[in-house]
Amino acid sequence: MFERGKRDEGPGERADFASAPPQRSQAPATPKPSQNGECAVIGRSIQINGDVRGDEDLRIEGDISGTVQLKNSNLTIGTEGKVRADVYARSITVYGTTEGDLYATERVNVHINAQVRGNITAPKVGIEEGAKFKGSIEMDQDAVDQALGKANMQGAASQSNKAPDNKGAAPKAVKEASLSRPTGAG
Amino acid sequence: MGRATARAPIEKTEALKAPLFRSLVEQLDGAGRRHILDLGAASTPMLSVLGRCRCRVEIADIASDDGIGRMNIEEATREELAAIAESLLPAHPGDDDDALDLVFCWDLPNYLKPKALSALMNAIAARARRGAIAHALVVYSERTMPERPGRFVPTEDIMLVNRGGSTSEIAAPRYSPDDLRRIMGSFAIDRAMLLANGMQEFLFRLQ
Repeated sequence: MFERGKRDEGPGERADFASAPPQRSQAPATPKPSQNGECAVIGRSIQINGDVRGDEDLRIEGDISGTVQLKNSNLTIGTEGKVRADVYARSITVYGTTEGDLYATERVNVHINAQVRGNITAPKVGIEEGAKFKGSIEMDQDAVDQALGKANMQGAASQSNKAPDNKGAAPKAVKEASLSRPTGAG
Repeated sequence: MGRATARAPIEKTEALKAPLFRSLVEQLDGAGRRHILDLGAASTPMLSVLGRCRCRVEIADIASDDGIGRMNIEEATREELAAIAESLLPAHPGDDDDALDLVFCWDLPNYLKPKALSALMNAIAARARRGAIAHALVVYSERTMPERPGRFVPTEDIMLVNRGGSTSEIAAPRYSPDDLRRIMGSFAIDRAMLLANGMQEFLFRLQ
């Protein structure tokens, strides 16, 4: 089910879109999902219904429904990837299609031609021009921390294939939280 | 909204001074938590600007998936338009704590027929707190406008650049302040300012 992919399989991801020029005519890039060596790959012919868990970087080119939990690792949803799931990871990079909520403890990057429908909760969010996104983005650090804390607890407690019940609802903010640093995107 | 005619390509790099937009952004500095709705497409520059405050941003991207065409159906009843408007807005928790404080309409109002715009603003009003602000750019002096809505992004010095790619023009509705008072429902005109590109910049406040 899982293949091995090398890091140098594509032109790579850019971490910051803020100063990047529009790239409408550029063909979709094949992602470079991890910082060193190999990462796991779910190939384009693979379909999974259920809970995907792991502790290594993962690239998804197949079709996933359920939940994806890579708490301490990086997830890349490749150009062929279709994920209908709530996703928890250290960083999430999207080139393909997702429907569900994305939780990342570091950042979420949505690249050109990606299609994302759902809510994003992460300290840093980048959305490249030409990406399609519909949903909410939580940029309140206190609310992000609270949501990610809850998400971690949910992930730890969940041993079944049941998806979290917060799908479609934005994370709640801490109303009386102290002023936090701006969480600039990109 | 009328027939499209060819036009010269838009100068995409020309930054537009939008004083009311700038004033909104400046008010975000050090503000408490804000709940913001952007009717346009998501962009990293806009998220960077909104990141000045603690906020949750909802991205509706109404113009995608033929949202404008769906809203402008001539025969649609009020109830049908209300349902379409609701479907075009992101899922909302429906909690008072999450009521909208600020709405960025950009130039979308020019592309919606009066009853469609009314339906959309009513749906937004139902999600917003009293006193919420809506910002809009309305074609005022020009008789035509680009065939599709612009894609406005803020520059570092809080001016606006239109990255829209529309090269054809259609007739502009040129909504007057009186039109807008009638169409925008509970959102009353708070401030207005004529911009260098012939658009009028409006702030509406929910009564």
